[in-house]
Amino acid sequence: MLLQQLVNGLTLGAVYTLVALGFSLVMGVLGVLNLAVAELFMLGGYVGLSLILADYPVAVAIAGAALVTAVLGVVVEKVAYQPLRNAPPIAPLLSTLGFSVIFQTAATNIWGSDPLLMPPDLLDARYRVGSVSVGQAQLLVMATAVVLVAALALLMRHTRFGYGLRAIAENRDVARLLGVPAPLVTSGAFALSGALAGVAGVQIGLHYSAITPYVGVEVGLKAIAVMVVGGTTNIWGVLLAGPLLGVLEVMTVALGGAAFRDMTVYGLMILTLLVRPQGLLGRAGGAQRV
Amino acid sequence: MLAVRNLAVRYGPIQAVRDLTLEVRPGEIVALIGANGAGKTSAVKAIAGLLPHTGTVSLGGQPLPRRAEYALRAGLALVPEGRGILGQMTVAENLRMGGYARRDRAGLEAAMEEQMRRFPILEQRRDKLAGLLSGGEQQMLAIGRALLSQPRLLVLDEPSLGLAPIMAARIFALVEELRATGVAILLVEQKARQVLKIADRAYVLETGTLRASGTASELAARGLLADAFLGTVTQAPPPA
Repeated sequence: MLLQQLVNGLTLGAVYTLVALGFSLVMGVLGVLNLAVAELFMLGGYVGLSLILADYPVAVAIAGAALVTAVLGVVVEKVAYQPLRNAPPIAPLLSTLGFSVIFQTAATNIWGSDPLLMPPDLLDARYRVGSVSVGQAQLLVMATAVVLVAALALLMRHTRFGYGLRAIAENRDVARLLGVPAPLVTSGAFALSGALAGVAGVQIGLHYSAITPYVGVEVGLKAIAVMVVGGTTNIWGVLLAGPLLGVLEVMTVALGGAAFRDMTVYGLMILTLLVRPQGLLGRAGGAQRV
Repeated sequence: MLAVRNLAVRYGPIQAVRDLTLEVRPGEIVALIGANGAGKTSAVKAIAGLLPHTGTVSLGGQPLPRRAEYALRAGLALVPEGRGILGQMTVAENLRMGGYARRDRAGLEAAMEEQMRRFPILEQRRDKLAGLLSGGEQQMLAIGRALLSQPRLLVLDEPSLGLAPIMAARIFALVEELRATGVAILLVEQKARQVLKIADRAYVLETGTLRASGTASELAARGLLADAFLGTVTQAPPPA
């Protein structure tokens, strides 16, 4: 029973991790929360499921969703961030909130407010390991997350883009003095952030076998909690906090009932802010790192 | 090499630098000196493309791009005030960032090793977070990192700031050594007397305006330095 819940929690945590990384990347580069990430996640789910319903393979659906949400991520950057870079932080925060509402309304108009359901026989195989039953969709969700996180880690450590992004996150002026094309790398961060959220959207669609226009708010807020618990712009902290909160949420439902689910997740977020504001892997007084 | 004509920098209603004209010739060490708030840092930030400005800046006869990332590619490297170390990256990663604009990967690796040999302490600390280095070590890292972009002109903004006198002396000795490599150096400093020992020429800024220029001995002979740091220089600037 507990092991089964652990697997379910890790699946949910994999989704939270990718969305939180989407938030974290932009937070690291600009120091501002891009609220549109939550709805890019939702749109990714719709694009992915639409492609699946149009008989495209799941891999194509994931890639298509990533592409669309990456482009939309850059649109958000060009319209909601770039013109407001020197404005108080509340300005771009509100403009991305505006984008969130627009994206949600657009999804409702295009796909309706009823859930869009995945074909019932897609990825419905289950594998039994001892007392634990793991669904094919769950395996795909977790495997995709692991592959993307590993790819992101390699990107950050071993590519010019990754070096540039980390430099900008720490000191934009110094990064520019070292030759980093800051506008280009910033756009790349938004694209990457959107793509991660979009893939996570397909994952949640596969995990729940459905997607609704309102899933972005729920999962987006959880991802923000993951980001806070992990350490705002610390991707390694997010990798730890995502599965942790996923498991915590599922275990709370299993042991205490659904009524307590969100209380534990957001309670942990508040506790983190009070006791360890730098997050699980952040360093007290030190700058956060991407 | 570097030719700055009528440079002016504004922060809203405040004029930080006005009508600054200066020149750095190949192989020269030129000092830009003045008291705190004289506009030195604003001037070099504008030259390096970090601040909007009016006036013209050219390097090697070509207009210098007005954006820092492209000014670097044109051959100007600025080590900013406070060193600009990326403290969350390791020493080796900081050095690698120095070659960010370079395309010759093999050449960069060799150049990194050369800087490690120039600064053995960096070799010893290569996998440590750069933020954990001492002030002097950070300054060596900042200079080594700047050299990795193969600049024609190296601009150092207050390299001795916050350093113990013995370490500041080492940094000035290093600057002198660098001249031998052929790179021209624009050195921004408050420690005027120390700087004039190694500089070929100097410009004195006071409240954003060029008050004097000439060789170190000329400036010292005219007794302008004390005035520039303690009060108003009333003398008109001589021709450079």
